[in-house]
This record gives sequence, structure tokens and C-alpha cells, in this order.
Amino acid sequence: MINFLARRLFAGVVLILVITTLAYALIYSSAGNAARNILGENATADDVAAKARELGLDRPLHEQYFDWFSNAIRGDLGVSWFTSEPVSALLANRLPVTLSMVILAVLVTAVISAILGVTAAVRGGWLDRLLQVVSVIGFSLPNFWVALVLVVIFAVAVPIFPATGYVPMSESLSGWFLALILPVIALVLGGIASAAQQIRGAVIDVLDMDYVRTLRARGLSSTSVLLRHVLRNAAPPALTVLSLQFIALLGGAVVIERVFAIPGMGTLTINSSFQGDVPALMGVVVALVILVVIVNLVIDLANGWINPKARLQ
Amino acid sequence: MQLGKRAAAVLAAVTVSGLLLTGCGGGGGGTSEGQTGGAATGGTLTLASPFDNNSFDRAALEIGNRVHYWMPVYDTLLVLDENAELQPNLATEWSYNADNTVLNLKLREGVKFTDGAPFDGEAVKANLEHLKNGKGQNAYMAASIGSIDVVSPTEVNLNLSQPDPGLVFYLGVVGGAVASPTALASPDIATTPVGSGPYTLDKSATTAGSQYTYTRNPDYWNQEDFPYDKIVVKPIADNTARLNALKSGQVDAGIIEAKSIKEAEGSRLKVSTEPVDWHGLFIADREGKTVPALGDVRVRQAINMAIDAESILKNLQLGQGEVTDQIFNTKSQAYVEELDNKYSFDLDAAKKLMSEAGYADGFEVLMPDLATYPQLTPIIEQQLGALNIRVNWQKVSADASISEVLSGKFPMFFFSLGSQSAWQDFQKVALPTSPWNTAKVNNPELNALVQAARVAKPGEEQDKAMQAVNTWMVDNAWFAPWYRVDNIIATSAKTEATAQPWNVAPWIRNYRPAS
Repeated sequence: MINFLARRLFAGVVLILVITTLAYALIYSSAGNAARNILGENATADDVAAKARELGLDRPLHEQYFDWFSNAIRGDLGVSWFTSEPVSALLANRLPVTLSMVILAVLVTAVISAILGVTAAVRGGWLDRLLQVVSVIGFSLPNFWVALVLVVIFAVAVPIFPATGYVPMSESLSGWFLALILPVIALVLGGIASAAQQIRGAVIDVLDMDYVRTLRARGLSSTSVLLRHVLRNAAPPALTVLSLQFIALLGGAVVIERVFAIPGMGTLTINSSFQGDVPALMGVVVALVILVVIVNLVIDLANGWINPKARLQ
Repeated sequence: MQLGKRAAAVLAAVTVSGLLLTGCGGGGGGTSEGQTGGAATGGTLTLASPFDNNSFDRAALEIGNRVHYWMPVYDTLLVLDENAELQPNLATEWSYNADNTVLNLKLREGVKFTDGAPFDGEAVKANLEHLKNGKGQNAYMAASIGSIDVVSPTEVNLNLSQPDPGLVFYLGVVGGAVASPTALASPDIATTPVGSGPYTLDKSATTAGSQYTYTRNPDYWNQEDFPYDKIVVKPIADNTARLNALKSGQVDAGIIEAKSIKEAEGSRLKVSTEPVDWHGLFIADREGKTVPALGDVRVRQAINMAIDAESILKNLQLGQGEVTDQIFNTKSQAYVEELDNKYSFDLDAAKKLMSEAGYADGFEVLMPDLATYPQLTPIIEQQLGALNIRVNWQKVSADASISEVLSGKFPMFFFSLGSQSAWQDFQKVALPTSPWNTAKVNNPELNALVQAARVAKPGEEQDKAMQAVNTWMVDNAWFAPWYRVDNIIATSAKTEATAQPWNVAPWIRNYRPAS
């Protein structure tokens, strides 16, 4: 298990290095506009050139990257070029917002898709067919459209939930929950549809296995077979789907945060991209890559714990 | 089936609302406590801003939408009222010497910053020097100030390197914002503003990117101009999200797009408009260095005549704006009403001018295909195509739009530019060094007119000189303006907002509870 963990950790570190290097190179290509964007439309060319020098944009790419990287591994991600806020503080403000939304969305996705998937696989018949139809519909509805419809109905016409904004948990637990309900519903709809299908398929596959028939022949109840044996063996693909869902939800959050004016990583990403705020954008990249590596690691560990064969692969 | 779904939805909504409201208490909805009485003062004003705050550093303050973040905390030396007229504020009087090179300011007595420091001549000096040396977007507002003499705690002289007709107007906005001199030197100034304004930033109720809360400064000298006890500013970038926040009562006022006017009015929101930006073509290569045809004034005039601005305004902006052929707003000193119709849409006349100039077969021109205005590319191509002008487009991403159009590589380009005071606009477009004079055209005739405006006596003489500059630029077709587009402010039924000339966002003092 230690070797398994070490291998996964090493792969994660390599991934972080590769992604941040590639991201820096890509972002650098438009960094030249940052000086102009900071100084605005009335600045002279001389002022812009001076600002670019101040930001170090006149230096070669590898020098800039080396500086950024050597500071980053010491935990210093620099300062936003536009707000003068330390990037670490920006991330500390924004990451919990997005994470609380995405984690809630993953939990909802896991519970509902597991119930739907297992029920459809076990019961079959009309329920299974209905689930498949609903899944296709759910999967094909764009989340931003769902979000807009939800706001119009549940925040404007029947003002139950806030139309926009985010309330930190520390400020008000109920406010936090209310603010996240509509965004989470908009986020999870497609995810539930896809995860339920995957779980259904995995459970059907396991139900067809010889050992399941054997267990039944030995007189174990259907519930016991399902809960103690089928679900355990159907879990790895479901966990993998959920980890992919988590990553997809991080992407989906960019749109949803805009619709609901939620000040999370998506908003930070869009603003930083439009402005060419390299330190802030690199902070976003680092945070998200680390997050993805951690999620994958946790899923790998969970798979390894459930299925010992996974540790040897 | 339809009825069943709807009934189920309503039932679910009612059930959930009951559960949540009884079990969880408040936390979500409206923010305007204290305003239930309608016209009463006090209460909270909640504003939606399309942009997040950038910084509270006095050197980095911006005009435009971001005034909502700093105006509650930083008072200004002068005030630009709703007619763009200057009014006294922290400076009670102002006057120039005979040759307009020294601006004397008499300062209000007894004003203190919220950290206890006195507002005086030294504070004014420290602030203007901080702005000038700070390299922010608006450092140009203090650029003409060579030195500052503090005559007494209540009087300063700003010694100008050369006359600057825009200076007094700058003192009504970012140029005149005053922070505590102690705070200017603080490393926390970007996040912790200390001013003498009507409100103070409540950091405990402020989360950057989410909400900025300001509570009344009890020692402010002019409380009656600011009826609200609390101001909340929420950055909401998306137009639909802002509209939803307005409709649901989460915010009291915000800027919306033209396409949302009907929906806003249908939701009992009030809508007011003020034209601030002009849209149109910058015919940058006026000397014809890259595209010789553009060096001929007849070609530039033909381009003005070939654009059907009225149709574009009607279709793209839903008629929200005014067709014009000048770049100055109606409250600018340089505005000349007759110039709004100098080049009416007349394709035949335009073709005739092209023919006279020897360009009946047109020419090729490189223009930026701006990601921020994708809908305009086919329109421009079609309208210029009528004169056989063939556009070669170069894609420009959103983050690069300003730097690319200002790079000087495009002989002609579309852009939307704000129009403020006349001299401020001259600085942007008319001088050989102006950033928006991208081809750096140095025309002695225009330079002489600008210089005359610079040294003219403030008042009628200066107005005429400014208008002469405008008339020259229109006659010589330096631009092909289409229209001044309306800035649209939507407010809830309980809020009134007076649009502010020269700025997309009204000042904080322009908001009041509805009577």
C-alpha cells in the first residue's frame, strides 16, 4: 500500500510540474497586454513600457518562470497585478466558495445517482427505461439554462432562494445553504444523469457474475447479496465516474458562478483571464491542479482499499 | 400533464420554502432593511456593479463603474453635479491666476479623516503627489501639477507646468479624492481605505469579490447629501444576474444592457439613461502612411457618410442612444449641436467623394476583429464594402483589445470610448502624443487650436476654443462616429438614481430613497 501511495504521489507531483509549466508558457503569450490593461486606455506607450518592465515582462520566459516557480514552491504565489492582493489570500477567499459548492454537488450526485442507478439495475423494466429517458434529458440540458430557469422560478417569481450571491458558512449556515441550493441543482443535473447510467451498468455487470448466482444459490437474501457483495464490486467504476464528475463540476462551476454571481474560482479565472493577471491565473492553475491530484489520489486509495487488485495495477 | 407538473412544482416550492424559512431563518433575500417606509432616509442602499473593486489605493482609483467602491470613503475636493457643473466640496473656492498656471484652492475647515488626522493643505499636497507618482490609470490627472505650495492649512496653490483646462474637472473625480496622509504610506492602503468621506468601509461585513459594506461616518460634514445609513456594493459581472438580483429585490440599482430594458420595466423597475460612450470608427491613419487613401479627407468623409449609424443603433442598441458625427458628449465644452448631423447617411454622396478622390474601386485596409464586439465585424464589412473598401480582419482576443488597437498597427478600427470633459478627451485623442491618436499624427493646424484652447480664459472663451477643436476634427473626419450609446441604470421602485454625465455609474450622492 505504501508503494502504491508513493507511486501515485510521484505521478501527482509530475502532473503538477508539467501542467504549471505548460500553463505558464500559454499564459505568458498574452501577458504583454497586462501592462496596458493595468494602466488603462489613457496611458502613454512609455508608461506602458515602464509598467511592463516593472512587472518583469521584458525578461525571457524561462527567467520569469524560474522566479515564479522558486517562489511558488516556498508558498509565495505572488501578488495580483490588478488588485495588489496576495494570490494566496485571493485563493483562500475563493477556493472555499467553489469547493463548498462542488463538494455539495458531488455528494448530491453520489447519493441520487447511486439510488437511481442501483434501483434501475435491480428492478429493470419500466423503471429502468424511464431512468434512461430521464438521464438523456438531464444530460442534454445545458447547466446555464437550467440555472436561469431555476432563478426565474425560485428566486424571482417565487422568491424562496437568493437570485445571486454567496453567504460564507461562518456568517450564516442557513444563508450558505440557501445560497447554494439553486447553483448545486443546476450543477448536478447532468452529472446525476451520467453517473446513474454508469452505476446502473456497473451493477448490471456484477449482477451477471457467476459468484452472484452462487451466493444466491447458497441461500443469501437478495438484499444481502446486493449490499455486501454487488455494491462493493460495482463501486470502483462508480468512484472513477464520481472523481471525473468532481473535475467536470469544477469546470461547470465557472459558468454557474457567473449566472449566480458567486465569488469563487470560476469568477476569479474569468476575471484574471480577461485582464491577463498572470500571478492570479497561475494561482488558479496551481490550486486546481493540486485539487485534481488530491481527488484522484483519494479515489485511487479508495479503489485500492475496496479492491486489492487495484493496488497491484 | 402540464397542470400536474406546475402544481407539483408550486407544491414543492411552497413546502421547501416553509421548511427552510421556519427551520433556517433568514439569510437569503432582500438586503434593504430600513427602507420599507419608502421615502424615509436611513436604511441600506445595495448596488450591483459590473466590476469588482481593483484597489482602495488612492493612486489606483478609477472612474467608471468603480466609483461605487471608493466614493463612499474618499471625499473629493470638488463635486461634479448632475449637470456636469463644478460645485464646492472639500475645496470651497477655486480660482486661476491670470495665465492659468496657478490654481488656488481654499479648503474647508474642521474636516477630519476617520483616523483622526486633519484634512488640510498638507493632506491635499500628499494626495496629489501620491496620485502623480503612483503610476495608476489616472496619474495623468495630476500630471500638469509641477509643485504644490501649502499657503496655510486651509489654502493651497497648485503650480502647473502649463495650463490644464481639465484639472478642475479631475478634482471632482479621482484627481480630487482625498485619503488620510497616514494611510497613503500604509502597506494596507489597497484593502483598508481611510478617508473623510460619508461612509467607512466595514471590513467585518466585506468580502472582496462578493460584497463591500460601508457604514455611515458619523462625523461627516455633509450628512444630508447621503440619505442612506449603509451602502452595500455587490460585484455582479453578468447582465442577466444583475437583472435577476434587481428583480428579486436583492439589489436596489444596477447597470443593465439595452436588451434588458423591456424585461426590467415589465418587472416594475425604473430605468434611466445617459449617453456616455460613443461608438464608431477611428480613422487612425489620417496621414495615409499605411493606407494612402485614408490620407485623403474626401475618403474619410465618404466613410462617415457610408455608415448607416441609425440602422446600427436601432438594431444593435435597440435605439438606445443618439446618432452623432462628433466624439464629444452633449455636456462637453466642445459639443456643437450642428455637428451631430454633419455627415448624414448618403451612400451616393459617399461614392461620389470616393470617385473624386480617385478611389472609386476602393482599397484594402487592415482592421481588428475584436472579440469584445463580434457582432460588428459583418456590419462594418458590409457597410465599407458598399464603397469597395475591402477589410482584412485580424482576430484580437478580449484581453488584448486595448493594447492591440493602441499598438498603431491598424489604420482603422472600431471602438467604444467614453467622453468626459473636453480637455480630458483632447488628451486621449487630439495631441500628437495622445494614446488614441495611434498613428501619432502631428497636425500643426490642430495643435494650434488645441494650444489656443489650453490657454483660453475659462468660460465662454475657453468653450469656443474647445468647440473650434471639435469642429476641425469633424471637418477633417478624424473619426467616423456612429452614435452616443445610452448607459442604462435600473432601480427598484423604492430607489431613485440620477444619471451622472461623463460617467457610466452615478455618484453615490445621486441615489436617494424614492419619494
